[in-house]
Amino acid sequence: MNTIMLGARNAFRNTTRAISIVIILGLVIALSMIMLVSYQAVNTKIKDVMSSIGNTVTIKPAGFSSFSQVNNALSTTQLSQVKRLKNVVGVNEYLTDRLKNTSSQSQLGFGRTNKNAGNTNLQSPITINLNKIANKHRRFFIAGGGSLPTSFSFPISIIGTTNTSQISGANIKIVSGSDINTNLSNNQVLVSSQMASKNNLHIGSTFTAYTSTLKVAGIFSAATRTAQNTILVSLPTEQSISNQSGVVTSATAYVDSLSNLSSTTSAIEKELGSSADVTSSVTQANNTVKPLNEVLSIASYSLIGSVIAGAVIILLVMVMIVRERRREIGILKAIGASNLRIIFQFMSEAFTFTILGAVVGLIIAVIGATPVTKALVSNTSSSNVSRSNFQRPTPGGGFRGGFARQNSAFGSISANIHNIHASVSWSLLIYGLLAALIIAIIGSALAGWIAAKISPSEAMKSE
Amino acid sequence: MLKVTNLTKEYNSGDNKVIAVKGVNLDIAEGKFVSIIGKSGSGKTTLLSLLGSLDKATSGHIEIDGKDISSLKNNELVQYRRNKIGFVFQSYNLISNLTAVENVMLPMLFNHASVDKRKNRALELLEQVGISKEKQNRKPSKLSGGEQQRVAIARALVNSPKIILADEPTGNLDSDTGEMIFNLLHDLAKKNKTTIVVVTHDLSIAGKTDMAFKMSDGSLA
Repeated sequence: MNTIMLGARNAFRNTTRAISIVIILGLVIALSMIMLVSYQAVNTKIKDVMSSIGNTVTIKPAGFSSFSQVNNALSTTQLSQVKRLKNVVGVNEYLTDRLKNTSSQSQLGFGRTNKNAGNTNLQSPITINLNKIANKHRRFFIAGGGSLPTSFSFPISIIGTTNTSQISGANIKIVSGSDINTNLSNNQVLVSSQMASKNNLHIGSTFTAYTSTLKVAGIFSAATRTAQNTILVSLPTEQSISNQSGVVTSATAYVDSLSNLSSTTSAIEKELGSSADVTSSVTQANNTVKPLNEVLSIASYSLIGSVIAGAVIILLVMVMIVRERRREIGILKAIGASNLRIIFQFMSEAFTFTILGAVVGLIIAVIGATPVTKALVSNTSSSNVSRSNFQRPTPGGGFRGGFARQNSAFGSISANIHNIHASVSWSLLIYGLLAALIIAIIGSALAGWIAAKISPSEAMKSE
Repeated sequence: MLKVTNLTKEYNSGDNKVIAVKGVNLDIAEGKFVSIIGKSGSGKTTLLSLLGSLDKATSGHIEIDGKDISSLKNNELVQYRRNKIGFVFQSYNLISNLTAVENVMLPMLFNHASVDKRKNRALELLEQVGISKEKQNRKPSKLSGGEQQRVAIARALVNSPKIILADEPTGNLDSDTGEMIFNLLHDLAKKNKTTIVVVTHDLSIAGKTDMAFKMSDGSLA
């Protein structure tokens, strides 16, 4: 038998008291472990949500909408200032427009209405059952009544871009031909395979847009109907053929890291002033994870509180035990025990209580971690999530599809934040044991100090 | 072997200063069985505490084998208590949740002795003091007063101390058992050449020791 065993045995001198202490400590340690599990689970979820939003900032002219047209367009000069900002690693610029088919019916409420409205001889690959829609939305489609058009073509989007990898947030893939040089005004164009098929276009084919002739350099595949109905040219080409030199209708700035997204968004806002609407997903994401952050705070405070409570409980218990055993401590000192050995003995006793409490606490934590975490998230987020959904900004214009997808993504994130799985991992077990060790050390420190102060002459005092 | 020079212990009790031990001088040779008798409150237990370094003297010197223990540091005092002194208390002072053999082994644990060495020594001493095998693994509450005191004597002897300090070792025992304990201490003193200082108010014990001192109002007569 050694000092550690002596301490461990001493823990069970009074069985009823030992069981009571272990149960109380178990509950406190269970609470701290559940809070730690919740903290980890919620923190992981927050990181997932934040990493899913991407580190991009969307820049549009103030008040821009595709139907109201460009009132205060951005310029390449303004965006060159944005490119110089700290943490901005790149800016993709877009000039978006719509082209009407020259044979399409003018009374339909689609397409660009500005004075520079462009025309094309291309037919849109998008087909719809007009009669079915018209029966539902008769007032919208048929101005002043009359019959439905027989040779209708949707307006076609034309995007002058510095980035041909995406259209409205949807990835595209060039399946034949080659990519266009986005720095040159060379009248080369990328069309979707559906557009090419509809209009019998091949690599090298030409067609008319505005008053210019464009040559097909590549054909791409895209999953969205919006992208399939879009033709891509370089930004200088679109600025030239649409007679909008230096004009940009939107841009996407890329920030070096997610942590800089918020500050960089503000910097861009400051740079562009009232001429632009600058938005990033960070606001929506922050709204979405706000209830999770509240859970994180609750978990943090509860974790700290329960560890302190555990330490206080073991401290009071050990102080009480030391006071009860003053005489015995005196005897131990009289027969040659050092202060250090006596302190170790009491620490061992405290550690026995906390280890057993940790075992009880772990069992409770394994059972209770997931339900408690879900209850916390559910109770904290139920009102906030619905509120944050209503607070989403209304997207506009040519990027409607992209924002629609983004909103949809945030909707799923919002719904998904309840889907938190809190599990007790090996690392958590180690943390739990470390927490128990810390509780035991802190809790027995005062008791050890009191024990060290007890004089060996206590042994001589009569009972 | 044990030399005490002008030893004084004062302490404050409320507003009053109490002189528990007043200029005590003692010189005891190795292997002697010495008794200190005196009435309750005469200061004999305080003197024993000072000899065993359980308490610090206000002034004076205690020398064991020529070494002044009043100049020792705290950790040296622990060593002194562990290796040079064995205590026997009136109320036995055994650790209640340890068995007889574990109680005897305890001082050797503080000396970092191996488990086997501790156990063999403890069993040997328990045999010597007359604790039968079936009682060696009993806890103190399952032993009689005389048996507990025998275990306490075995514990006091386990580290082969130079001096055994016994505070009223027969005080809680009936006269027959008390005599048995006294004889045990006496035999050990002779056999092991251990110096034994017994504090008692039992004059019959005092009469059988090699030297007897009477203590009154903190002074030795």
